[in-house]
Amino acid sequence: MSSSPPPSSAAASPSCPKKMIALRSSDGETFEIEEAAALQSKTLENMIDEDCAGTPIPLPNVTGKILAKVVEFCSKHAEPGVDDESLRAWDAEFVNVEQATVFDYILAANFLEIPTLLNLTCNVVADMIRGKTPDEIRKFFNIKSIFSPEEEEEVRRENHWAFE
Amino acid sequence: MASFKSIIQDVKDEIGNISRKGFDHVKFGYGLRSRSHRVVQDSSVVVDALKQSCWASMPPELLRDVLMRIEKSESTWPPRKNVVACAGVCRNWREIMKEIVKTPEVSGKLTFPISLKQPGPRDSLLQCYIKRNRSNQTYYLYLSLDQALNEDGKFLLAARKLRRPTCTDYIISLNPDDMSKGSSTYIGKLRSNFLGTKFTAFDAQPPSAGSRVMKSRSTRLVNFKQVSPKVPAGNYPAVHISYELNVLGSRGPRRMQCVLDAIPASSIEPGGVAPTQTEFMSSTLDTFPSFSFFRSKSTRVENLESGRPMSAPKDGMLVLKNKSPRWHEQLQCWCLNFHGRVTVASVKNFQLVASPEQGVAGTEHENVILQFGKVGKDVFTMDYQYPISAFQSFAICLSSFDTRIACE
Repeated sequence: MSSSPPPSSAAASPSCPKKMIALRSSDGETFEIEEAAALQSKTLENMIDEDCAGTPIPLPNVTGKILAKVVEFCSKHAEPGVDDESLRAWDAEFVNVEQATVFDYILAANFLEIPTLLNLTCNVVADMIRGKTPDEIRKFFNIKSIFSPEEEEEVRRENHWAFE
Repeated sequence: MASFKSIIQDVKDEIGNISRKGFDHVKFGYGLRSRSHRVVQDSSVVVDALKQSCWASMPPELLRDVLMRIEKSESTWPPRKNVVACAGVCRNWREIMKEIVKTPEVSGKLTFPISLKQPGPRDSLLQCYIKRNRSNQTYYLYLSLDQALNEDGKFLLAARKLRRPTCTDYIISLNPDDMSKGSSTYIGKLRSNFLGTKFTAFDAQPPSAGSRVMKSRSTRLVNFKQVSPKVPAGNYPAVHISYELNVLGSRGPRRMQCVLDAIPASSIEPGGVAPTQTEFMSSTLDTFPSFSFFRSKSTRVENLESGRPMSAPKDGMLVLKNKSPRWHEQLQCWCLNFHGRVTVASVKNFQLVASPEQGVAGTEHENVILQFGKVGKDVFTMDYQYPISAFQSFAICLSSFDTRIACE
Protein backbone atom coordinates (compact mmCIF):
# COMPACT_ATOMS: atom_id res chain seq x y z
CA MET A 1 0.00 0.00 0.00
CA SER A 2 2.81 2.38 0.59
CA SER A 3 5.38 3.12 -2.01
CA SER A 4 8.44 1.85 -0.25
CA PRO A 5 11.87 2.91 -1.27
CA PRO A 6 13.94 0.42 -3.23
CA PRO A 7 14.86 -2.49 -1.00
CA SER A 8 18.29 -2.09 0.50
CA SER A 9 20.69 -3.78 -1.80
CA ALA A 10 23.61 -3.76 0.53
CA ALA A 11 22.80 -7.12 2.03
CA ALA A 12 23.41 -9.02 -1.15
CA SER A 13 25.92 -6.87 -2.96
CA PRO A 14 29.49 -6.94 -1.69
CA SER A 15 30.38 -3.82 -3.66
CA CYS A 16 27.91 -1.64 -1.75
CA PRO A 17 29.94 -0.05 1.01
CA LYS A 18 27.24 0.91 3.49
CA LYS A 19 24.38 -1.15 4.74
CA MET A 20 21.18 0.86 5.08
CA ILE A 21 18.37 0.12 7.46
CA ALA A 22 14.85 1.26 6.73
CA LEU A 23 12.67 2.60 9.49
CA ARG A 24 9.00 3.43 9.41
CA SER A 25 7.50 6.03 11.70
CA SER A 26 4.12 5.84 13.39
CA ASP A 27 2.66 8.06 10.68
CA GLY A 28 3.93 5.91 7.86
CA GLU A 29 7.01 7.83 6.82
CA THR A 30 10.04 5.80 5.91
CA PHE A 31 13.61 6.74 6.62
CA GLU A 32 16.90 5.21 5.75
CA ILE A 33 19.74 5.10 8.19
CA GLU A 34 23.22 3.68 7.91
CA GLU A 35 23.70 0.59 9.97
CA ALA A 36 26.56 2.16 11.88
CA ALA A 37 24.24 4.98 12.90
CA ALA A 38 21.39 2.61 13.68
CA LEU A 39 23.60 0.70 16.07
CA GLN A 40 23.56 3.74 18.36
CA SER A 41 20.14 2.48 19.30
CA LYS A 42 20.09 -0.68 21.38
CA THR A 43 16.55 -1.32 20.26
CA LEU A 44 17.53 -1.19 16.60
CA GLU A 45 20.65 -3.18 17.29
CA ASN A 46 18.54 -6.01 18.67
CA MET A 47 16.21 -5.87 15.71
CA ILE A 48 19.06 -5.87 13.22
CA ASP A 49 20.56 -8.88 14.94
CA GLU A 50 17.29 -10.66 14.56
CA ASP A 51 17.70 -10.11 10.87
CA CYS A 52 14.79 -7.89 9.95
CA ALA A 53 16.70 -6.78 6.91
CA GLY A 54 14.70 -5.99 3.83
CA THR A 55 11.55 -4.70 5.42
CA PRO A 56 11.32 -1.34 7.11
CA ILE A 57 11.39 -1.62 10.88
CA PRO A 58 8.12 -0.22 12.24
CA LEU A 59 8.48 2.23 15.09
CA PRO A 60 4.94 2.87 16.29
CA ASN A 61 6.10 5.10 19.12
CA VAL A 62 7.89 7.70 17.03
CA THR A 63 6.42 10.14 14.57
CA GLY A 64 8.08 11.03 11.28
CA LYS A 65 8.96 14.50 12.45
CA ILE A 66 10.90 13.18 15.42
CA LEU A 67 12.31 10.13 13.70
CA ALA A 68 13.86 12.37 11.05
CA LYS A 69 15.73 14.22 13.78
CA VAL A 70 16.71 11.03 15.57
CA VAL A 71 18.18 9.68 12.34
CA GLU A 72 20.05 12.94 11.94
CA PHE A 73 21.41 12.64 15.48
CA CYS A 74 22.52 9.06 15.15
CA SER A 75 24.12 9.70 11.78
CA LYS A 76 26.06 12.62 13.16
CA HIS A 77 27.25 10.60 16.12
CA ALA A 78 28.36 7.76 13.84
CA GLU A 79 30.35 10.13 11.66
CA PRO A 80 34.05 9.44 11.89
CA GLY A 81 36.56 12.17 12.59
CA VAL A 82 34.34 14.61 14.43
CA ASP A 83 36.17 16.15 17.37
CA ASP A 84 34.54 16.32 20.79
CA GLU A 85 34.18 20.07 20.83
CA SER A 86 32.40 20.25 17.49
CA LEU A 87 30.13 17.39 18.46
CA ARG A 88 29.25 19.12 21.71
CA ALA A 89 28.43 22.31 19.88
CA TRP A 90 26.36 20.37 17.37
CA ASP A 91 24.51 18.63 20.22
CA ALA A 92 23.77 21.97 21.86
CA GLU A 93 22.22 23.23 18.63
CA PHE A 94 20.31 19.98 18.22
CA VAL A 95 18.50 20.43 21.53
CA ASN A 96 17.98 24.13 21.08
CA VAL A 97 14.32 23.52 20.38
CA GLU A 98 10.99 24.03 22.06
CA GLN A 99 10.30 22.31 25.34
CA ALA A 100 7.72 20.00 23.79
CA THR A 101 10.19 18.81 21.17
CA VAL A 102 12.76 18.03 23.83
CA PHE A 103 10.11 15.91 25.48
CA ASP A 104 9.55 14.04 22.22
CA TYR A 105 13.29 13.47 21.89
CA ILE A 106 13.44 12.03 25.37
CA LEU A 107 10.63 9.61 24.71
CA ALA A 108 12.20 8.55 21.41
CA ALA A 109 15.65 8.15 22.98
CA ASN A 110 14.09 6.08 25.76
CA PHE A 111 12.11 3.88 23.42
CA LEU A 112 14.98 3.41 21.01
CA GLU A 113 17.52 3.13 23.85
CA ILE A 114 19.99 5.67 22.51
CA PRO A 115 22.22 6.45 25.51
CA THR A 116 23.89 9.52 23.99
CA LEU A 117 20.59 11.16 23.06
CA LEU A 118 18.99 10.22 26.37
CA ASN A 119 21.92 11.65 28.27
CA LEU A 120 21.82 14.85 26.24
CA THR A 121 18.09 15.41 26.58
CA CYS A 122 17.93 14.53 30.28
CA ASN A 123 20.67 17.07 30.90
CA VAL A 124 18.64 19.65 29.00
CA VAL A 125 15.63 18.97 31.18
CA ALA A 126 17.76 19.14 34.32
CA ASP A 127 19.01 22.53 33.10
CA MET A 128 15.43 23.67 32.65
CA ILE A 129 14.75 22.80 36.28
CA ARG A 130 17.86 24.24 37.92
CA GLY A 131 17.49 27.64 39.48
CA LYS A 132 13.71 27.59 39.63
CA THR A 133 11.48 27.68 42.67
CA PRO A 134 8.88 24.90 42.98
CA ASP A 135 6.25 27.30 41.71
CA GLU A 136 8.32 28.25 38.67
CA ILE A 137 9.01 24.58 37.94
CA ARG A 138 5.30 23.83 38.09
CA LYS A 139 4.46 26.69 35.76
CA PHE A 140 7.19 25.79 33.33
CA PHE A 141 6.17 22.17 33.02
CA ASN A 142 2.50 22.79 33.62
CA ILE A 143 2.36 20.37 36.54
CA LYS A 144 -0.38 20.45 39.12
CA SER A 145 0.67 20.01 42.69
CA ILE A 146 -1.88 18.30 44.84
CA PHE A 147 -0.40 18.54 48.28
CA SER A 148 -2.39 18.27 51.48
CA PRO A 149 -2.35 21.41 53.64
CA GLU A 150 0.21 19.76 55.92
CA GLU A 151 2.45 18.84 53.01
CA GLU A 152 2.12 22.38 51.64
CA GLU A 153 3.24 23.70 54.99
CA GLU A 154 6.19 21.34 55.04
CA VAL A 155 7.19 22.29 51.50
CA ARG A 156 6.91 25.96 52.31
CA ARG A 157 9.11 25.59 55.39
CA GLU A 158 11.68 23.52 53.53
CA ASN A 159 11.94 25.97 50.67
CA HIS A 160 12.06 29.01 52.90
CA TRP A 161 14.98 27.40 54.72
CA ALA A 162 16.71 26.22 51.55
CA PHE A 163 16.48 29.58 49.83
CA GLU A 164 17.50 31.44 53.00
CA MET B 1 -3.49 8.83 -8.63
CA ALA B 2 -1.86 10.82 -5.91
CA SER B 3 0.50 8.62 -3.98
CA PHE B 4 -0.40 7.87 -0.43
CA LYS B 5 2.80 9.49 0.55
CA SER B 6 1.77 12.84 -0.84
CA ILE B 7 -1.60 12.63 0.88
CA ILE B 8 0.17 12.05 4.12
CA GLN B 9 2.44 14.98 3.36
CA ASP B 10 -0.55 17.29 2.79
CA VAL B 11 -2.13 16.19 6.03
CA LYS B 12 1.12 16.70 7.88
CA ASP B 13 1.51 20.19 6.50
CA GLU B 14 -1.95 21.02 7.70
CA ILE B 15 -1.30 19.58 11.10
CA GLY B 16 2.03 21.37 11.16
CA ASN B 17 0.12 24.63 10.91
CA ILE B 18 -2.04 23.72 13.85
CA SER B 19 0.82 22.55 16.01
CA ARG B 20 2.92 25.60 15.17
CA LYS B 21 0.24 27.72 16.77
CA GLY B 22 0.43 25.45 19.76
CA PHE B 23 4.16 26.08 20.02
CA ASP B 24 3.66 29.82 20.31
CA HIS B 25 2.24 29.19 23.73
CA VAL B 26 5.26 27.15 24.68
CA LYS B 27 7.57 30.06 23.95
CA PHE B 28 6.07 31.98 26.82
CA GLY B 29 7.62 29.55 29.21
CA TYR B 30 4.68 27.37 29.98
CA GLY B 31 2.52 25.52 27.63
CA LEU B 32 -0.50 23.55 26.91
CA ARG B 33 0.80 21.36 24.23
CA SER B 34 -1.67 19.95 21.82
CA ARG B 35 -0.83 16.55 20.50
CA SER B 36 -2.31 17.39 17.18
CA HIS B 37 0.49 15.88 15.14
CA ARG B 38 -0.10 12.33 16.19
CA VAL B 39 -1.46 10.31 13.34
CA VAL B 40 -2.65 6.75 13.54
CA GLN B 41 -1.70 4.20 11.01
CA ASP B 42 -4.98 3.36 9.41
CA SER B 43 -4.70 6.55 7.36
CA SER B 44 -7.45 8.41 9.17
CA VAL B 45 -6.27 11.43 11.05
CA VAL B 46 -7.00 11.65 14.73
CA VAL B 47 -6.22 14.89 16.44
CA ASP B 48 -5.63 14.50 20.12
CA ALA B 49 -7.22 17.56 21.60
CA LEU B 50 -6.35 16.77 25.18
CA LYS B 51 -4.62 19.87 26.46
CA GLN B 52 -2.52 18.10 28.99
CA SER B 53 1.03 18.79 29.89
CA CYS B 54 3.24 16.16 28.37
CA TRP B 55 5.59 16.47 31.32
CA ALA B 56 2.95 15.27 33.72
CA SER B 57 2.96 11.97 31.87
CA MET B 58 6.70 11.56 31.70
CA PRO B 59 7.66 7.95 32.31
CA PRO B 60 8.73 7.56 35.96
CA GLU B 61 12.14 6.10 35.14
CA LEU B 62 12.98 9.16 33.02
CA LEU B 63 11.78 11.59 35.65
CA ARG B 64 13.89 9.70 38.14
CA ASP B 65 16.90 9.91 35.81
CA VAL B 66 16.52 13.69 35.59
CA LEU B 67 16.04 14.12 39.34
CA MET B 68 19.05 11.92 40.06
CA ARG B 69 21.17 14.11 37.82
CA ILE B 70 20.11 17.17 39.76
CA GLU B 71 20.76 15.53 43.13
CA LYS B 72 24.20 14.46 41.98
CA SER B 73 25.27 17.73 40.43
CA GLU B 74 23.91 20.00 43.15
CA SER B 75 26.00 18.43 45.87
CA THR B 76 26.92 21.61 47.72
CA TRP B 77 25.09 24.70 48.87
CA PRO B 78 23.71 27.03 47.58
CA PRO B 79 22.94 24.88 44.45
CA ARG B 80 21.57 22.12 46.68
CA LYS B 81 18.46 24.22 47.11
CA ASN B 82 17.47 22.95 43.68
CA VAL B 83 17.08 19.48 45.20
CA VAL B 84 14.71 20.90 47.80
CA ALA B 85 12.84 22.81 45.11
CA CYS B 86 12.27 19.63 43.12
CA ALA B 87 10.91 17.92 46.21
CA GLY B 88 8.35 20.69 46.45
CA VAL B 89 6.90 20.46 42.95
CA CYS B 90 4.32 17.72 43.39
CA ARG B 91 3.79 14.45 45.25
CA ASN B 92 5.38 12.41 42.50
CA TRP B 93 8.56 14.48 42.35
CA ARG B 94 8.68 14.67 46.16
CA GLU B 95 8.45 10.92 46.56
CA ILE B 96 11.22 10.31 44.06
CA MET B 97 13.55 13.01 45.38
CA LYS B 98 13.11 12.00 49.01
CA GLU B 99 14.04 8.49 48.03
CA ILE B 100 17.13 9.56 46.11
CA VAL B 101 18.51 11.79 48.85
CA LYS B 102 20.51 9.92 51.45
CA THR B 103 20.86 10.87 55.11
CA PRO B 104 23.88 12.88 56.28
CA GLU B 105 25.14 9.69 57.94
CA VAL B 106 25.49 8.05 54.55
CA SER B 107 26.10 10.96 52.18
CA GLY B 108 27.84 13.51 54.37
CA LYS B 109 25.43 16.12 53.00
CA LEU B 110 22.70 18.24 54.54
CA THR B 111 19.73 18.56 52.22
CA PHE B 112 16.36 19.04 53.90
CA PRO B 113 15.73 20.67 57.28
CA ILE B 114 15.22 17.21 58.75
CA SER B 115 18.91 16.58 58.00
CA LEU B 116 19.62 18.79 61.00
CA LYS B 117 17.90 16.26 63.25
CA GLN B 118 19.72 13.26 61.82
CA PRO B 119 23.09 11.81 62.84
CA GLY B 120 26.10 13.31 61.11
CA PRO B 121 28.44 11.51 58.73
CA ARG B 122 30.11 8.38 59.98
CA ASP B 123 33.65 8.88 58.86
CA SER B 124 34.20 12.60 58.75
CA LEU B 125 33.35 15.74 60.68
CA LEU B 126 30.75 18.04 59.16
CA GLN B 127 32.22 21.52 59.40
CA CYS B 128 29.97 24.34 60.58
CA TYR B 129 30.38 27.64 62.33
CA ILE B 130 28.41 29.76 64.78
CA LYS B 131 28.12 33.52 64.69
CA ARG B 132 27.12 35.38 67.79
CA ASN B 133 25.12 38.57 67.53
CA ARG B 134 25.32 40.24 70.90
CA SER B 135 22.87 43.00 70.06
CA ASN B 136 19.91 40.68 69.60
CA GLN B 137 21.17 37.81 71.78
CA THR B 138 21.02 35.48 68.83
CA TYR B 139 23.35 32.75 67.64
CA TYR B 140 23.38 31.60 64.03
CA LEU B 141 24.60 28.19 62.91
CA TYR B 142 25.94 27.84 59.38
CA LEU B 143 27.31 25.01 57.29
CA SER B 144 30.81 25.88 56.08
CA LEU B 145 31.01 25.96 52.33
CA ASP B 146 34.74 25.83 51.93
CA GLN B 147 37.85 24.96 53.82
CA ALA B 148 38.83 28.52 54.56
CA LEU B 149 37.52 29.98 57.77
CA ASN B 150 35.77 32.82 56.00
CA GLU B 151 32.17 33.45 56.77
CA ASP B 152 30.51 32.05 53.72
CA GLY B 153 28.00 29.50 54.77
CA LYS B 154 24.58 27.99 54.41
CA PHE B 155 22.27 29.04 57.22
CA LEU B 156 21.11 26.08 59.31
CA LEU B 157 19.64 27.14 62.67
CA ALA B 158 19.22 30.18 64.88
CA ALA B 159 19.02 30.34 68.67
CA ARG B 160 17.77 33.26 70.72
CA LYS B 161 18.56 33.66 74.36
CA LEU B 162 15.70 34.40 76.73
CA ARG B 163 16.59 35.15 80.30
CA ARG B 164 14.01 34.05 82.82
CA PRO B 165 13.85 34.54 86.58
CA THR B 166 15.12 31.08 87.45
CA CYS B 167 16.75 29.89 84.24
CA THR B 168 17.82 30.80 80.74
CA ASP B 169 16.24 29.43 77.59
CA TYR B 170 17.68 29.33 74.10
CA ILE B 171 14.90 28.93 71.55
CA ILE B 172 16.15 27.12 68.47
CA SER B 173 14.47 27.67 65.12
CA LEU B 174 14.80 27.06 61.38
CA ASN B 175 13.88 30.63 60.66
CA PRO B 176 15.91 33.43 62.18
CA ASP B 177 13.01 35.82 61.60
CA ASP B 178 10.55 33.64 63.47
CA MET B 179 11.82 32.51 66.84
CA SER B 180 8.55 31.81 68.58
CA LYS B 181 7.84 28.47 70.21
CA GLY B 182 4.45 28.19 68.60
CA SER B 183 5.83 28.50 65.10
CA SER B 184 6.22 25.60 62.71
CA THR B 185 9.90 26.45 62.46
CA TYR B 186 10.49 25.76 66.17
CA ILE B 187 12.95 22.91 66.51
CA GLY B 188 13.69 22.78 70.22
CA LYS B 189 15.33 24.64 73.03
CA LEU B 190 18.15 24.60 75.51
CA ARG B 191 17.38 25.36 79.11
CA SER B 192 19.93 26.06 81.78
CA ASN B 193 19.53 25.75 85.51
CA PHE B 194 19.82 28.78 87.73
CA LEU B 195 23.51 28.36 88.35
CA GLY B 196 24.36 27.75 84.73
CA THR B 197 25.96 24.43 85.57
CA LYS B 198 23.41 22.07 84.14
CA PHE B 199 21.54 22.26 80.85
CA THR B 200 18.86 20.26 79.13
CA ALA B 201 18.28 20.38 75.41
CA PHE B 202 14.68 19.67 74.46
CA ASP B 203 13.55 18.41 71.09
CA ALA B 204 10.17 19.65 69.84
CA GLN B 205 9.39 16.14 68.73
CA PRO B 206 10.18 12.69 70.09
CA PRO B 207 13.40 10.98 69.03
CA SER B 208 11.76 8.32 66.97
CA ALA B 209 9.42 10.74 65.21
CA GLY B 210 8.67 9.54 61.75
CA SER B 211 11.16 6.71 61.81
CA ARG B 212 9.80 3.32 60.97
CA VAL B 213 11.01 -0.19 60.62
CA MET B 214 10.71 -1.63 57.14
CA LYS B 215 10.01 -5.15 56.18
CA SER B 216 12.66 -5.52 53.57
CA ARG B 217 15.96 -4.05 52.56
CA SER B 218 14.36 -2.15 49.75
CA THR B 219 14.80 1.48 50.47
CA ARG B 220 11.50 2.59 49.08
CA LEU B 221 8.72 2.95 51.58
CA VAL B 222 5.42 3.03 49.78
CA ASN B 223 2.74 3.34 52.38
CA PHE B 224 3.25 4.56 55.86
CA LYS B 225 0.98 4.86 58.82
CA GLN B 226 2.15 5.97 62.18
CA VAL B 227 1.01 3.70 64.96
CA SER B 228 1.55 5.98 67.92
CA PRO B 229 -1.02 8.65 68.64
CA LYS B 230 -0.81 12.22 67.56
CA VAL B 231 2.28 13.89 68.90
CA PRO B 232 2.00 17.40 70.24
CA ALA B 233 4.88 19.81 69.70
CA GLY B 234 6.43 19.49 73.07
CA ASN B 235 9.61 19.17 74.99
CA TYR B 236 11.33 15.86 74.69
CA PRO B 237 14.62 15.76 76.57
CA ALA B 238 17.39 15.10 74.11
CA VAL B 239 20.66 16.00 75.83
CA HIS B 240 21.68 16.57 79.43
CA ILE B 241 24.78 18.69 79.79
CA SER B 242 26.68 19.37 82.96
CA TYR B 243 29.74 21.41 83.78
CA GLU B 244 32.11 21.00 86.69
CA LEU B 245 35.35 22.47 87.79
CA ASN B 246 38.20 20.07 87.54
CA VAL B 247 40.53 19.33 90.42
CA LEU B 248 42.56 22.45 89.67
CA GLY B 249 39.52 24.64 90.16
CA SER B 250 39.18 27.55 87.85
CA ARG B 251 42.85 27.35 86.91
CA GLY B 252 42.21 24.25 84.87
CA PRO B 253 39.90 23.35 82.04
CA ARG B 254 36.36 22.63 83.13
CA ARG B 255 34.86 19.21 82.87
CA MET B 256 31.90 18.67 80.60
CA GLN B 257 29.55 15.74 80.34
CA CYS B 258 26.72 15.20 77.88
CA VAL B 259 24.19 12.42 78.17
CA LEU B 260 22.24 11.78 74.99
CA ASP B 261 18.87 10.43 76.01
CA ALA B 262 17.90 8.86 72.76
CA ILE B 263 21.22 7.61 71.48
CA PRO B 264 22.38 4.24 72.78
CA ALA B 265 25.99 3.80 73.87
CA SER B 266 26.15 0.90 71.44
CA SER B 267 25.71 3.33 68.55
CA ILE B 268 29.46 3.92 68.43
CA GLU B 269 30.32 0.25 68.55
CA PRO B 270 30.93 -1.57 65.27
CA GLY B 271 27.57 -2.25 63.68
CA GLY B 272 25.90 0.19 66.04
CA VAL B 273 23.02 2.40 65.03
CA ALA B 274 21.51 5.69 66.13
CA PRO B 275 17.85 6.71 65.75
CA THR B 276 17.09 8.71 62.64
CA GLN B 277 14.12 11.04 62.45
CA THR B 278 12.72 11.06 58.97
CA GLU B 279 10.24 13.89 58.99
CA PHE B 280 8.84 16.72 60.98
CA MET B 281 5.52 15.89 62.55
CA SER B 282 2.87 18.51 62.29
CA SER B 283 1.22 18.94 65.60
CA THR B 284 -2.06 19.84 64.01
CA LEU B 285 -2.44 16.51 62.30
CA ASP B 286 -4.85 13.83 63.38
CA THR B 287 -3.32 11.36 60.98
CA PHE B 288 0.18 11.42 59.68
CA PRO B 289 1.29 12.08 56.16
CA SER B 290 1.26 9.00 54.02
CA PHE B 291 4.84 9.24 52.85
CA SER B 292 7.77 8.75 55.08
CA PHE B 293 11.20 7.85 53.93
CA PHE B 294 13.48 5.92 56.13
CA ARG B 295 16.96 6.02 54.85
CA SER B 296 19.18 4.37 57.39
CA LYS B 297 19.21 0.81 56.19
CA SER B 298 21.33 -0.44 59.05
CA THR B 299 19.07 1.03 61.69
CA ARG B 300 16.06 -0.49 60.09
CA VAL B 301 17.38 -4.00 59.86
CA GLU B 302 18.92 -3.95 63.31
CA ASN B 303 15.73 -2.94 64.96
CA LEU B 304 13.65 -5.36 63.03
CA GLU B 305 15.85 -8.15 64.25
CA SER B 306 15.95 -7.07 67.83
CA GLY B 307 12.31 -6.11 67.95
CA ARG B 308 13.30 -3.23 70.15
CA PRO B 309 11.56 0.13 69.84
CA MET B 310 14.05 2.76 68.94
CA SER B 311 13.00 5.34 71.41
CA ALA B 312 14.21 3.57 74.54
CA PRO B 313 17.79 2.41 74.31
CA LYS B 314 18.02 -0.35 76.84
CA ASP B 315 21.77 -0.69 76.71
CA GLY B 316 22.57 2.69 78.22
CA MET B 317 22.63 6.16 76.82
CA LEU B 318 25.60 7.59 75.03
CA VAL B 319 27.73 9.73 77.30
CA LEU B 320 30.19 12.23 75.88
CA LYS B 321 32.95 13.86 77.86
CA ASN B 322 35.37 16.54 76.94
CA LYS B 323 38.79 15.34 75.96
CA SER B 324 41.40 16.18 78.53
CA PRO B 325 43.80 18.81 77.29
CA ARG B 326 47.49 18.22 77.83
CA TRP B 327 49.57 20.66 79.75
CA HIS B 328 52.17 22.17 77.46
CA GLU B 329 55.18 22.91 79.64
CA GLN B 330 56.90 25.20 77.17
CA LEU B 331 53.83 27.20 76.19
CA GLN B 332 52.53 27.04 79.79
CA CYS B 333 48.97 26.34 78.69
CA TRP B 334 46.45 23.59 78.19
CA CYS B 335 46.42 22.31 74.64
CA LEU B 336 44.10 20.34 72.46
CA ASN B 337 44.77 19.55 68.85
CA PHE B 338 41.96 21.16 66.95
CA HIS B 339 43.60 20.51 63.60
CA GLY B 340 43.52 24.16 62.64
CA ARG B 341 39.80 24.56 63.17
CA VAL B 342 40.16 26.59 66.36
CA THR B 343 42.56 29.51 66.43
CA VAL B 344 41.79 31.52 69.56
CA ALA B 345 42.38 30.19 73.05
CA SER B 346 39.22 30.17 75.09
CA VAL B 347 37.81 28.29 78.01
CA LYS B 348 34.77 27.66 75.84
CA ASN B 349 36.74 25.50 73.40
CA PHE B 350 36.23 21.75 73.72
CA GLN B 351 36.39 18.38 72.06
CA LEU B 352 33.86 15.72 73.03
CA VAL B 353 34.61 12.04 72.87
CA ALA B 354 32.59 9.05 73.93
CA SER B 355 33.13 8.19 77.55
CA PRO B 356 34.18 4.62 78.26
CA GLU B 357 31.30 2.49 79.44
CA GLN B 358 30.62 3.00 83.07
CA GLY B 359 32.39 0.47 85.21
CA VAL B 360 34.69 -0.47 82.39
CA ALA B 361 38.19 0.77 82.85
CA GLY B 362 39.75 1.96 79.68
CA THR B 363 41.38 4.78 77.91
CA GLU B 364 39.40 7.64 76.57
CA HIS B 365 37.99 7.13 73.10
CA GLU B 366 40.04 8.91 70.50
CA ASN B 367 37.28 9.71 68.05
CA VAL B 368 36.17 13.32 68.42
CA ILE B 369 32.41 13.49 67.97
CA LEU B 370 31.97 17.20 68.54
CA GLN B 371 34.52 19.97 68.43
CA PHE B 372 33.86 23.62 69.19
CA GLY B 373 36.10 26.63 69.42
CA LYS B 374 36.76 30.27 68.83
CA VAL B 375 38.19 31.66 65.61
CA GLY B 376 37.17 35.29 65.90
CA LYS B 377 35.54 37.81 68.11
CA ASP B 378 32.04 36.42 67.62
CA VAL B 379 32.74 33.44 65.39
CA PHE B 380 33.20 29.86 66.47
CA THR B 381 33.63 26.64 64.52
CA MET B 382 31.49 23.61 65.27
CA ASP B 383 32.41 20.26 63.76
CA TYR B 384 30.30 17.21 64.43
CA GLN B 385 29.81 13.66 63.24
CA TYR B 386 27.81 10.51 63.83
CA PRO B 387 26.03 9.68 66.02
CA ILE B 388 24.89 13.18 67.01
CA SER B 389 22.91 15.64 64.92
CA ALA B 390 23.43 19.30 64.04
CA PHE B 391 20.61 20.23 66.42
CA GLN B 392 22.13 18.34 69.35
CA SER B 393 25.58 19.71 68.57
CA PHE B 394 24.30 23.27 68.38
CA ALA B 395 22.55 22.91 71.72
CA ILE B 396 25.67 21.54 73.37
CA CYS B 397 27.77 24.40 71.98
CA LEU B 398 25.25 26.98 73.18
CA SER B 399 25.67 25.66 76.71
CA SER B 400 29.38 26.36 76.42
CA PHE B 401 28.57 30.01 75.80
CA ASP B 402 26.28 30.18 78.73
CA THR B 403 27.91 28.23 81.54
CA ARG B 404 29.45 30.18 84.34
CA ILE B 405 31.93 27.47 85.24
CA ALA B 406 35.56 28.49 85.00
CA CYS B 407 35.14 31.71 83.15
CA GLU B 408 38.10 33.99 82.85
